[in-house]
Amino acid sequence: MSALGAVSVQFTREQLAEVRRLQALYPDKRAALLPVLHLAQEAFGHISLEAEEYAAGLFDLSPAHVHEVVTFYSLFFREPRGRHVISVCHNLTCHLLGAQRVLTHLKKRLGVDVGGTTPDGGVTLLSVECLCACEMAPMMQVNDRYEGNLTPEKVDRILAELR
Amino acid sequence: MSELILTRNFHLPGSHTLALYRETGGYAGLEKAFAMKPAEITEEVKKSNLRGLGGAGFPTGVKWGFLPKGHPGPIYLVINADEGEPGTFKDRYLLERDPHALIEGMIISAYAIGAHLGFVYIRGEYVGPWRIFRRAVEEAYQAGFLGKNILGSGFDLDIIIHRGAGAYICGEETGLISSLEGKKGWPKLKPPFPAIRGAFGAPTIVNNVETICHVPHIVRRGAAWFAGLGTKTQGGTRMYSVSGHVARPGVYELPVSVTLRSLIDEHAGGLPNRRRLKAVVPGGSSAAILTAGEIDVTMDVDGLKNAGTMAGSAGVIVMDETVSIPDALMVVARFYAHESCGQCTPCRESTGWIYKMTRRIIEGKGRKEDLDTILDVARRGAGTTICAFFDGAVGPYISYIEKFRAEFEALIPK
Amino acid sequence: MVRLTIDGKEVEVPEGTNVIEAARRLGIEVPYYCYHPGLSIAGQCRLCMVELGNNPRPQIACNTQVTEGMVVRTDTSKVLETRQSIMEFHLINHPLDCPVCDQAGECWLQIYYMKHGLYEPRMVDEKVHKPKAVPLGPHVILDAERCILCSRCVRFCDEITGTGELGIFQRGDHSEIGLFPGKELANPYSANVIDICPVGALTDRDFRFAVRVWYLDTARSICPGCSRGCNIEVHYNLRRPHHNQGRRVARLKPRYHAEVNRWWICDAGRYGYKFVDDPSRLVSPSRGRGDAAVEIGWDEIIPVIAGQLRRYRPEEMGVLASPKMANEDLFLLKRLVDHLGLAHVDFSVPPRHPGDEDNLLIRADKNPNTCGAELVGLGPREGVGHGGARGILRAAREGRIKCLWVFHHDLLASAWPEEEIREALRTLECLIFQGSNANRVSAAAHYVLPSATWVEREGTFTNFEGRVQRFWRAVEPLGASLADWEILGRIGAALGLGPQPVRAEECFKALAAAVPAFAGLSYGELRDTGKVVSA
Repeated sequence: MSALGAVSVQFTREQLAEVRRLQALYPDKRAALLPVLHLAQEAFGHISLEAEEYAAGLFDLSPAHVHEVVTFYSLFFREPRGRHVISVCHNLTCHLLGAQRVLTHLKKRLGVDVGGTTPDGGVTLLSVECLCACEMAPMMQVNDRYEGNLTPEKVDRILAELR
Repeated sequence: MSELILTRNFHLPGSHTLALYRETGGYAGLEKAFAMKPAEITEEVKKSNLRGLGGAGFPTGVKWGFLPKGHPGPIYLVINADEGEPGTFKDRYLLERDPHALIEGMIISAYAIGAHLGFVYIRGEYVGPWRIFRRAVEEAYQAGFLGKNILGSGFDLDIIIHRGAGAYICGEETGLISSLEGKKGWPKLKPPFPAIRGAFGAPTIVNNVETICHVPHIVRRGAAWFAGLGTKTQGGTRMYSVSGHVARPGVYELPVSVTLRSLIDEHAGGLPNRRRLKAVVPGGSSAAILTAGEIDVTMDVDGLKNAGTMAGSAGVIVMDETVSIPDALMVVARFYAHESCGQCTPCRESTGWIYKMTRRIIEGKGRKEDLDTILDVARRGAGTTICAFFDGAVGPYISYIEKFRAEFEALIPK
Repeated sequence: MVRLTIDGKEVEVPEGTNVIEAARRLGIEVPYYCYHPGLSIAGQCRLCMVELGNNPRPQIACNTQVTEGMVVRTDTSKVLETRQSIMEFHLINHPLDCPVCDQAGECWLQIYYMKHGLYEPRMVDEKVHKPKAVPLGPHVILDAERCILCSRCVRFCDEITGTGELGIFQRGDHSEIGLFPGKELANPYSANVIDICPVGALTDRDFRFAVRVWYLDTARSICPGCSRGCNIEVHYNLRRPHHNQGRRVARLKPRYHAEVNRWWICDAGRYGYKFVDDPSRLVSPSRGRGDAAVEIGWDEIIPVIAGQLRRYRPEEMGVLASPKMANEDLFLLKRLVDHLGLAHVDFSVPPRHPGDEDNLLIRADKNPNTCGAELVGLGPREGVGHGGARGILRAAREGRIKCLWVFHHDLLASAWPEEEIREALRTLECLIFQGSNANRVSAAAHYVLPSATWVEREGTFTNFEGRVQRFWRAVEPLGASLADWEILGRIGAALGLGPQPVRAEECFKALAAAVPAFAGLSYGELRDTGKVVSA
């Protein structure tokens, strides 16, 4: 286990209340699985196997069925990630407008490869499919935020703000 | 300049707020809608020639008409805000800049189809749009536009916002339903179609954000007006997402009768740096590519269909003369290989295989027979799968190679 | 009923039938991998595509229910080409390791490749690599590279056992079946996933590298593991006797029966055959206890047994029959018992630990023929008041019963105190044990009569619902062992009962004539599905 992952996999009472609310919201309780996994990722930083089993218990599902869901979607992180996640779009428009240059620049600045996290746990770098902001290509997602019309200088500014 | 309908408020500060929406006539169509019979609204939507703007272009009113009559149980309205088609970004603008238009559209559409619960499935990466839309839903509840007995009409509607978690296939309507149900986004077998048996086993209508945003205008101003904006088979305007090598990339709302040439040259400002046009993807990455000589086509569903491509999601990607088409195909093939859900064999196996072949060609290790193998595999796989994902991938596979074959051949060692 | 046309031939099938099953009625094979009549429709493999009416796109037959007047074509060039294409997709990432795959010879990838293959390999790129030789549980081993992701195993665990151990993880061509990390596939029916896996992805750890399947022969049979009477096939190997450590029975497989077990059997039954080729088998009649035991021939022992049975008075003799015996055995024993006028007769010995039971197949009664034993009348006789088997043993302990004939039971594994049993066995003047395998009763017996096991003979069992079902002989009786009814026939002859049956069928005929519940049943007419006794 990672040093970052010392959080015990257990929702707080408030979070559990939110789980129950979500489960009651839908015509079928299982429909709340994605929202609850989002909640788990927010609470625990990533979705460990332990968290999957915990979620399975909350939904009376077999852990395998939760594992199917977690491994299917690209936004669920199964390993600890950095405090910030940078996802560079590498799809068509961004590719045409220099996504590779942005990615190369980020790799150099951060000293990590795609999929890697800086040794200080600061930033995880990803290369992802279309984020549907092609009008600002090349672009990337920095945590919740879209950043577009990227140049090396703009990338450097964004990195400086993250530190 | 033609009239803006969906995007008319985009330039106004606070366009996402209830206050501004109401100031500009928002929610005014509700009373008129509630005075109509639900079936009359469906009829009006049919007559308007509104077609699905998410990608398939299916006539919206006809889709609504597939619902079983007099169904005793619940019926659901699901909004597909899982925008993911490469080259498309219009729904993001609607969610961020005019969320109440979607809510009003949902109220009227739900009333028409007899749904009392609506879901809005927003792609997981759209965190900002999700927050804005969530706030708008809260506002609408507070103002009595959602919940019980809306405006004293006796009609109830609740909206649940559901966030995706990163999977292109969830933009496919039955993949979306699976995901909404808390499962992997595996598309479902059809039949049964969602209108008969959809989300949670109930009759379900899945419509794109932009499609539903049109509905209040159709009700308020009439089907004839809407139909008159477009072509014989498709009414209204639609929002074109234009990106790539153009001077002014962005969203352009235009009648569907606009030509691709006009969209690129007049609206998006043409190509920068005096470069020449090489190719255009007219309807999102799944649409077959058009060469520079093929852009005098109208951008409606049938116009592009007749041109051998598709209107799809109206995501227009412009490529200038510097672009390597094999390189572009490798990027697109990588996308389809990454996003294939893996459920059915032809798509699961051939998207990966085709990506490997295109990558090998780019790396200079192509073989003479590779191009024909890609074409053959694409053709053989087409039409054999559970959903339209693979048929979408076939669009670029075949068109990029057929239209730019010499460029591929030049990369293959003799 | 719905009438439709398939490849120009008309057929009438019940409403709700799919096109695969309708075609099967006509003897037309529509190939498929993911479809299974016992599971939900997945539509994933895309191999079963057919042409429907004027629809230009072939559709999957599994998810197409017949409609009146439907016109189906399974033989057009479009359908055949589609099959070839789908087969190619199924194979591009397959390791093609048939020479080291247990499934070879019964693999649907091989079978359909021969029929529908493209025969021009075009895939030169690196295949996707996935986990290989991963034990999933006590019985099942996974090779994910061979898997075609048909999801039958996943659906089995979801829909039949409801245990949900398996899933398909990841997506695209990296999708793979597996367990949640750290979990096992250990439900009581786990090995059925091996049977329904159409390829070599899930194979049997017990059968792993044991025998090539083309050396196996098949006999129809009934599982003797509990009172359900699941229909099975016995797969045995006589052609390569040096393989599989000389064990003749290689494996048991479920055989479809609509009302008994459908397509399934439990793991306990599937692997419960090991006693057949076990070193504990009794292979020769013998006389004398423990170290003093001497093997002798049947000709020698039969008169000795007959002599012992004549020597004691009826009230000094007891018989513990077994609900593991076939109806034919039980009937001949009943005739003997009646002839000798014995009253101390029972068949029921409670096990030390009550058997497990569920709502699917598994029955708590681990005997295949309790119902038959009851119907034949080998239970405690009403009014005699000997207290059943336990009462018989008490009488033995107290010296009132001097001669006891025990069939198959290991009494020391019963629910009764061991000391009580030991004392009874010690006290007896004459203990006869008849059974297939040595146990603590045979060790204490003065005479041992070796029985053939159920795969070495034929006969019938009556399951808990009263269904009389036939099992057929797979292999020869080991050593000098004989079917119980043959042994009983020989003893009967020696006791002067007259001509005895020489075939199991004759025993059954006599049984049907004598026991009302079996009246009207005929051995031959039982066929594959069996018949239910009259109430």
